[in-house]
Amino acid sequence: MKMNKKVLPYLLVSPYIIHFLVFVAFPVAFSIVLTFHDWNIISPMKYIGLNNYVRLFKDQLFITSMLNTLLFLAIHIPLQIIVSLFFAEFLNQNIRFRGFFRGAFFLPVIVSGVVVTIVWQQLYGYDTGLLNRGLVGLGLGKVGWLVSTKWAMPSIALMATWKNVGLYIVLFLVGLQTVPAHYYEAADLEGASHSQKFFQITLPMINPTIFMVVILSTIGGFSLFIEPYVMTGGGPLNSTLSAVLYIYKQGFFYYHMGYSATLGLFFASLILIVIMVQKKFVEKDK
Amino acid sequence: MKKNYKIYLLALAIMVSSISCNKGNLNNNKALIYWSSNNTEEIQFAKEIVDEWNKENPNNKIVSQPVPEGQSSEEIILAAVVGKTTPDIYSNMWQGDVESYAEAGVLVALDTLPSFKDFIYQRCDSAVVKEITSLDGHIYQIPWKINPIMLLYNRNITKGIGLSNPPASYSDFYEASRRFQKDSNGDGYIDRWFGYSEVLVTWWQRFFDFYPLYLAASGGGSLVQGNKVTFNNKYAIEVFRFLQGLYNRNYFARESFQGRQDAFLGEAIASRFTGPWEISHTEKFKPKGFDYDFSPLPVPDDHKGPIYTYGDPKNIVIFKTCINPLMALKFLEYSTSKSNDLKLLQVTNQLPRRKNIDVDPLFASYFKKNPKMGSFAKQSRYVKGTDASPVLKEVFDIISQQYEACVIFNKKTPEEAINDAANAVNLLFLK
Repeated sequence: MKMNKKVLPYLLVSPYIIHFLVFVAFPVAFSIVLTFHDWNIISPMKYIGLNNYVRLFKDQLFITSMLNTLLFLAIHIPLQIIVSLFFAEFLNQNIRFRGFFRGAFFLPVIVSGVVVTIVWQQLYGYDTGLLNRGLVGLGLGKVGWLVSTKWAMPSIALMATWKNVGLYIVLFLVGLQTVPAHYYEAADLEGASHSQKFFQITLPMINPTIFMVVILSTIGGFSLFIEPYVMTGGGPLNSTLSAVLYIYKQGFFYYHMGYSATLGLFFASLILIVIMVQKKFVEKDK
Repeated sequence: MKKNYKIYLLALAIMVSSISCNKGNLNNNKALIYWSSNNTEEIQFAKEIVDEWNKENPNNKIVSQPVPEGQSSEEIILAAVVGKTTPDIYSNMWQGDVESYAEAGVLVALDTLPSFKDFIYQRCDSAVVKEITSLDGHIYQIPWKINPIMLLYNRNITKGIGLSNPPASYSDFYEASRRFQKDSNGDGYIDRWFGYSEVLVTWWQRFFDFYPLYLAASGGGSLVQGNKVTFNNKYAIEVFRFLQGLYNRNYFARESFQGRQDAFLGEAIASRFTGPWEISHTEKFKPKGFDYDFSPLPVPDDHKGPIYTYGDPKNIVIFKTCINPLMALKFLEYSTSKSNDLKLLQVTNQLPRRKNIDVDPLFASYFKKNPKMGSFAKQSRYVKGTDASPVLKEVFDIISQQYEACVIFNKKTPEEAINDAANAVNLLFLK
């Protein structure tokens, strides 16, 4: 029995340890090894030293894909925060059908990303899309939502915001409900306006939630893949080629596994740095 | 607690032994595994020929299985190669993939097997044999079936715009496009185009526009030969210019038609570059009175000689994991015999890649019953697959990037785009 008592804890944690070793530790270690090799999956690996890293810094398309991802983040994160905070404020009021609206706003979150993308592709259609039909109906010109290099990434950012806004509404709702009601009562007694209450009480009080939303949307934004993969394939003229899509293409279109692993490792390190910087800000704020 | 350990160990032992037994059964029987494509018709075809073979060869059995489900059969084969779980025979290999597998040493060089050369020259002419010969001089594939890309067009529309024949040259195509183009609802925007081609930059989309048109214009020219670019020529430039003109004049739409009602059946477009799979779809969904046909692809106005196209060939290979390649070849000689080619045609409506199929009396009654397939049979004399290159997908991707910049978005001249593509492919070969 003594022996069993010693073994039992290890036995109980073994499923997680095995899962971690097989599905996390080994792939990560293997991908680090891969970065020093040329490997197309079917032929034996060839050691090439630091060549993949040298190639990475010279790869214009990777730089383009990074800039595209940053553009996406620059549009997506502020839009996400503004829209979700607006609707969270709205849904935090005593309005009719509040339960229905809370459910309705969350619905896109649980719908498959591919389905959402295909539906939006129809909305964004240049000649037959609903949005352009509406614009033409209003006497305005058509917009090349997905076929113009200027509009394609903002269009994708808009769609991604629509898809994820429900999740952030829930987070903001939780944040808003933790603000003590007596703060607002005191502000009312002082004759504060609605906007004063929002900027002087609500925003500072939900600051931790805002930072959490920023971190989550940064991670989500960095992993932008399904939307450009399904909608534009990275085009037009690579204007929606995200970093993850480019890594995927290198790995699974061309089977440049070594180079793809190098891009992946570099990109993961970059996300880690960004998140750490953001974390510093949060801690400083606290 | 001890009892529980024993139960775990027993369960583990049963699992391991059952896996080993499964593998053992196959090996003991020495049956060869044949993976066919996983569409219903091809599964049926594979089953019929395998049943017949097994009846006649009870000591050399074949087990037919559809390729396991996955995002694409290419991915499944790749996973099988990596996991060393390849079948003995696979009958749906895209010709463009063969070179990289051959280079990796996972395929049997069929020309090293006795009787292969006689067999292949009976089936194919010397041009096809040359086309399927790998860079190392060996042959790793048997040409099996093709789906040539042709011009599908709406006959009512072509008649309606005053054409007695489908457009055959670039000028004819422009003229037909001009006549058909229309803003039907008067909103100031074109909503009727003569043709359509998918605007996505994905490399294989070029199988349905640039590549077949390039083959048509160049008389079956190559893109690359060994480690040398061969597409930087006047034909590629002409094709880019032709397609660029279609988009610039709004004769082709720049938006994706994916996911919407079939634009050809809805008569929003009058034609498209496509293959014989379109026949069953069109027959099933066409509105009453809808009349359509196929014709060779448009060519430059000064073109002379036969009009080639891309054949989208799917070929048969034997993997090196095969324990009896000789028997596998015997089975393949049987499964691609003339009578089984006819069966393939009848069961799947896919064209075998066999020389003179359009005039062979054995196939005549089928083509009489299916005249639209007859057009593809005639075209099959002038089809080309892909060049032997282990980096073919990257070559197509590079061309596709330049295609998008030049043809769709008019950012480059055709000369610049082809030159840039050639330089990028040359860099690829230098790596």
